[in-house]
Amino acid sequence: MTRSAALNGKSHPARVAVVAAGIISPLGCGLAETLESLRAARDCITPVTRFPVDRCRCKTAGQVPDERLILKRNGRRGQRLHRASHMMITALEEALAQDRQFDPDLTVVGTTSGGMSYGEDYYRALHRHDDLRRSPTWIANYPPQKAVIDAQEAFGISAPCEVIANACASGTNAIGHAFECVRSGRYQRILTGGYDALSELVFVGFDSLQASTPEKCRPFDRHRTGMVLGEGAAILALENFEAARARGAAILAEIIGYGISTDNFHLTQPNPSGSGARQAMERALESARLAADAVDYINAHGTATPFNDAAEGKAIGQLFGRVPVSSTKSMMGHSLGAAGAVEAIVCLLALQHQVLPPNINFRAPDEDADLNIVANESQAAFVRTVLSNSFGFGGTNASILMQQFKT
Amino acid sequence: MSLGIAGMGWITPLGAGVDFVWDRLLRGEEAHAEKIAGQCDGQPYSVFRVPDSALASLAPHPRLRRVSLISRFAAAAGLEALANAGVKPDLKIAERTALIFAISNGGVIYTKRFYRDIVESGAQAASPILFPETVFNAPASHLAAILGITGTTYTLVGDGAVGLLAMRMAEEIMANAAIDYCLVVGAEEIDWLLCDAYRRWRLLRSEAPVEPFSEVPKGMILSEGAGAVLLAREGPLKIEGTHAARYRKRTDAETILEQALSELITAENDFVIASANGTFVDQAECRALSGFAPKSVVYTVKPALGESVGASGLWQIIVASQALQHEELPPLLHAPAKIRLRIPSLRMSMGKARGAIVLSCGLNQQIAGLRLGLDG
Repeated sequence: MTRSAALNGKSHPARVAVVAAGIISPLGCGLAETLESLRAARDCITPVTRFPVDRCRCKTAGQVPDERLILKRNGRRGQRLHRASHMMITALEEALAQDRQFDPDLTVVGTTSGGMSYGEDYYRALHRHDDLRRSPTWIANYPPQKAVIDAQEAFGISAPCEVIANACASGTNAIGHAFECVRSGRYQRILTGGYDALSELVFVGFDSLQASTPEKCRPFDRHRTGMVLGEGAAILALENFEAARARGAAILAEIIGYGISTDNFHLTQPNPSGSGARQAMERALESARLAADAVDYINAHGTATPFNDAAEGKAIGQLFGRVPVSSTKSMMGHSLGAAGAVEAIVCLLALQHQVLPPNINFRAPDEDADLNIVANESQAAFVRTVLSNSFGFGGTNASILMQQFKT
Repeated sequence: MSLGIAGMGWITPLGAGVDFVWDRLLRGEEAHAEKIAGQCDGQPYSVFRVPDSALASLAPHPRLRRVSLISRFAAAAGLEALANAGVKPDLKIAERTALIFAISNGGVIYTKRFYRDIVESGAQAASPILFPETVFNAPASHLAAILGITGTTYTLVGDGAVGLLAMRMAEEIMANAAIDYCLVVGAEEIDWLLCDAYRRWRLLRSEAPVEPFSEVPKGMILSEGAGAVLLAREGPLKIEGTHAARYRKRTDAETILEQALSELITAENDFVIASANGTFVDQAECRALSGFAPKSVVYTVKPALGESVGASGLWQIIVASQALQHEELPPLLHAPAKIRLRIPSLRMSMGKARGAIVLSCGLNQQIAGLRLGLDG
């Protein structure tokens, strides 16, 4: 039985509309800047400035400049918030500006590390017997749910929140779960998305695994050497399609399918056969009752690590053949818990503006994967249905399908 | 949609196993508070630790070789819940089972060790073995691998309400008829660093006991362990309702708790398993309960087991389930002599109760509730 057919025993599950969206990432602040960066194939990876990286192999990341964040909201209290909270506030402000009536029943957001750098400040001060007067602020603003609550409070939203920490799949899991909740009829409106801010612990962690690269990030390239980290926040406002239509909300796109799988192969490595990735994509197609050849573009997880891209490339090739594929992480880095949400917005822009976002730094195709990479430049194209992949530590794999909405 | 509890698993400072721990609670026993010291300043803390014997029956598994305690607690509780339900996770069942993991502090022991190496010796000293275990979903991943779960696995993070939020999420997931079971697990492990953080947040008490519903909050004692609940379509105990909300200020918590109670309490004989832990939460719960449910008997397990944050909601559900099935509540320990609530000072028969409300007011603005009822 397919998951969609089984949904709550209903043969016609509700359609799910995206009625607003907001983003801040290394590509820019807001949908317009993000689109411009995608079209221009801008490389937004820069030397890390937030903490020392002299003893790391990798020294670059996709970073959000502090001056782009909304820091003044919430007055003095706002000054104490973690920059992850400010990222969430910035993204949410853009989304709510598009639909001021949107009042969510629930918020579902993905993250991996919350306000981790405050945890680092606290531990470092403790360890070095430094001044700990700020420790209550660090501790209170460290929990992963805090940035979500802060963003809600900034706009008077009182919905309960579910914060999913499924490693790098968190953002797509959050959107997928929110989609299923609206689709099942349990909720009418859900705010969803993901966030993560760069932190030393996580940066060094990926460096210690030699998963990050001292070179350029080259997803799906034959000579790829690893990932580059990023950061950001992205928010999507999902609503029951009929309810959105009834109140005259603008419909930016529809989410039509979601697939999740757990491959149990290894804590940090995907099953080399690509079976976990393939299962997530197949389940998304089943959920949407869609054939693989209906997909016009795939925004791949594409971290540029040898293992991920080999497994994902294999799965994409087997299922979709020569569908255009890109990993936009090449331009902005891997923002972990935010990545799925950021890339969902990249997909949204692809649908709205009929553009294929580029996979930059691409030089030579991988001999083992026959993929149609959108290499180095964005392309104008007919884009009606897109798939976005996110895979994470713990063998968590997630895929969502989005479709263009035409009146 | 009807959901029932098919099985439960419990790893606590009072030992392992639902019936074993329940018997000790009924006898009025409480966990032994152990002293640990902060490694940076020697500050002493009282904590409730899980005894080594509690994990003695956990079978070795390749995935558990180098993992932190939190993953072992979770595995032991999860496996007990399945065994308790008579469910053997073969390929077919595992495919139709979802796993939701509730967590608040997570794998703090390895996270601290990993970052300590960076602070002390620089980035080049960071351990690639420790780093993957610092990720919030590492315990869920190990448990999914042990059980062979290949579908939905979510790790939900939050404050003390996260366990009940995970139950609500399980309801959402089981709206999908392709899922037959949902295993909800909450787990935490203790470290001096956590104690230091909660102390600086002014929520910790230096010495046991936890004194619930005290006029002046004296603080909580942290504990560790895991709780697991296997949800199925059928079961002797039904999930009859859930509630989730958020409070903006501590002073708002009482109102939000009242809203939860108004939605969940349906009969005078319903009893309440509260989340009172010796902090500001207690007074909010006390006022809401005395105002809105003055006839309901109220119990909290935290004086006996401590505050396990991410695991606490699951522990409360297990207590509620046991009390409904066995028709009695354990004595509430260390409650003030004068209290506005109906509490079980001694073991109390609950033979007339057909429903139990589990209430959780987290320390970080999240509130959740759940109503359990006896089937039939």
